[in-house]
Amino acid sequence: MTVLATIVEVTLRALLGRRRTALLILLAALPVIVALLARIGGRSPGEESLFEAIVRTVLPLVALVFGTSALGSELDDGTAVYILAKPIARWQVVLAKAGVAGSLTGGLVVASTLGSGLMAGAPASGTLATGLGFAVAAAIGSFAYVALFLAASVITSRALILGLIYTLIWEGALAGILEGTRQFSIREATLALAAAFAPAGSGIDGGLDLAGAVGLVGVVIVGGLALATWRLARWEVHGTD
Amino acid sequence: MTDAPPTQAPPSTRETAAAAQPPIARPLMPGPGAPVVEVDHVSRWYGNVVAVNDISFTLAPGVTGLLGPNGAGKSTLLHMIAGLLRPSAGQVGVLGQAAWQNTAMYRRIGLVPEREAVYPFLTGREFVAMNARLQRLPDADRATAAAIRTVDLEGAADRPIGTYSKGMRQRAKIAGALVHDPQILLLDEPFNGMDPRQRLHMIALLRAMAAEGRTILFSSHILEEVERLADSILVVYAGRLAASGNFREIRRLMTDRPHTFLVRSSDDRRLAAALVDETAVFGVDLSGERLAVSSSEFGAFTRLLPRVARDARISLFEVTPTDDSLESVFAYLVRR
Repeated sequence: MTVLATIVEVTLRALLGRRRTALLILLAALPVIVALLARIGGRSPGEESLFEAIVRTVLPLVALVFGTSALGSELDDGTAVYILAKPIARWQVVLAKAGVAGSLTGGLVVASTLGSGLMAGAPASGTLATGLGFAVAAAIGSFAYVALFLAASVITSRALILGLIYTLIWEGALAGILEGTRQFSIREATLALAAAFAPAGSGIDGGLDLAGAVGLVGVVIVGGLALATWRLARWEVHGTD
Repeated sequence: MTDAPPTQAPPSTRETAAAAQPPIARPLMPGPGAPVVEVDHVSRWYGNVVAVNDISFTLAPGVTGLLGPNGAGKSTLLHMIAGLLRPSAGQVGVLGQAAWQNTAMYRRIGLVPEREAVYPFLTGREFVAMNARLQRLPDADRATAAAIRTVDLEGAADRPIGTYSKGMRQRAKIAGALVHDPQILLLDEPFNGMDPRQRLHMIALLRAMAAEGRTILFSSHILEEVERLADSILVVYAGRLAASGNFREIRRLMTDRPHTFLVRSSDDRRLAAALVDETAVFGVDLSGERLAVSSSEFGAFTRLLPRVARDARISLFEVTPTDDSLESVFAYLVRR
């Protein structure tokens, strides 16, 4: 427990101490501000559109930054050696890093979703229930995205670029053109989970059925963590003469 | 190295730390007479680039210096011993087991990497404590305080590492590496950035640790550092082991290698004629602006030149060795 807690503490401080975290907080606050401005202006902010926008943009971007930084940055700058040259099973390192990155991502996205919901008029309308559904789905989606991006960061130092390609091109552009690509889209799985958690008739289109969504998220989380562990056990220090 | 008999190493502090650690599935202590570290025909290449080329040696308790110019392959070798790089060919054994992917051996190893990056947001004390907790030490705070005291970092221990000088960062890294009282200490250019006082302190510390039975391997490209600290040395040049063994023996080889000197005197031609008679001189060349003299022994030539010049009543104005760089020394050792 001490080992996990130590890695968690160092990772948390490393991630929260970065300037980019402030930018991510601003990004997560944007939907809340939009909802607030819409309410002040007396217009409906379109809660579901707002929630979907959070899942489509805020969630993958926040997960990408935290997921690739949690371990990848340390592998790149060499500080990971201080953890890896210890008698610690690699799965413990991966679990602690993914836990921190997933929790931070989930925390920000859930706060963004619930904050937007509150600004949009909950609990007076059915917004709160829908918002809660989105929040739970986004929290689960956070861990799926983080597991994927963390595994990518152990495999390559270009994980950030690969992650952007995945979210912008695969999930963004291709999913709209080729329906089959949705089967491998964490975003679509998250929306499907939100649809399942939200009240009936909420009109959320997940692009996947619930079983497919649960399966995909489960495979990505388990597979991502297993792949990261396997790759970390074979990780070699670089930048040597 | 191989000549030195392995000793029963563990001092009392190590026993205390080891007693509180979870049991290791496989024993990590070498058997009697077994080397602590064994590098057996090890090579490592990156694509077409050979970083380490068929190197073999063993280490027993004591201080061994890994000497070589930048880019020689020292860090690659250290990282393979530390289990952080897989050999492309050959085997690296530490305490009787393969080093690669062997996380259990880190209970007995302390590693000080050359790269400067250390968590800048942690204080020195927090960094050392992190190392202690990751080693599962029973009293991490006490071990942390002891390690910080050992490297003389108490005054700055509660400042963030990001504010440290290079030398202070090095000391924090060393404290983190020895907080669990390791049997083997691997240090990559440990004296980088240290001022002379810190350097002397660290040399004394490492010598004391070696005297207690630890095996210490450190890399350096500075001959004087190795001379002050190491009992034995490994000279690495262009990925190959150029020489290994007792420091004084190799120092003599380095000094008494063929040298070419450029000499300016009151009569170069007559001086050349006089020098040719000496057995330590195997060539003279008058074609350039100055007299070039090739000698088989550095020490002998530096003694004979003034004598020959005095006997011939020739004044010496300038004597310059042409190939005294460390690079040329290493190249010579490889050619031998």
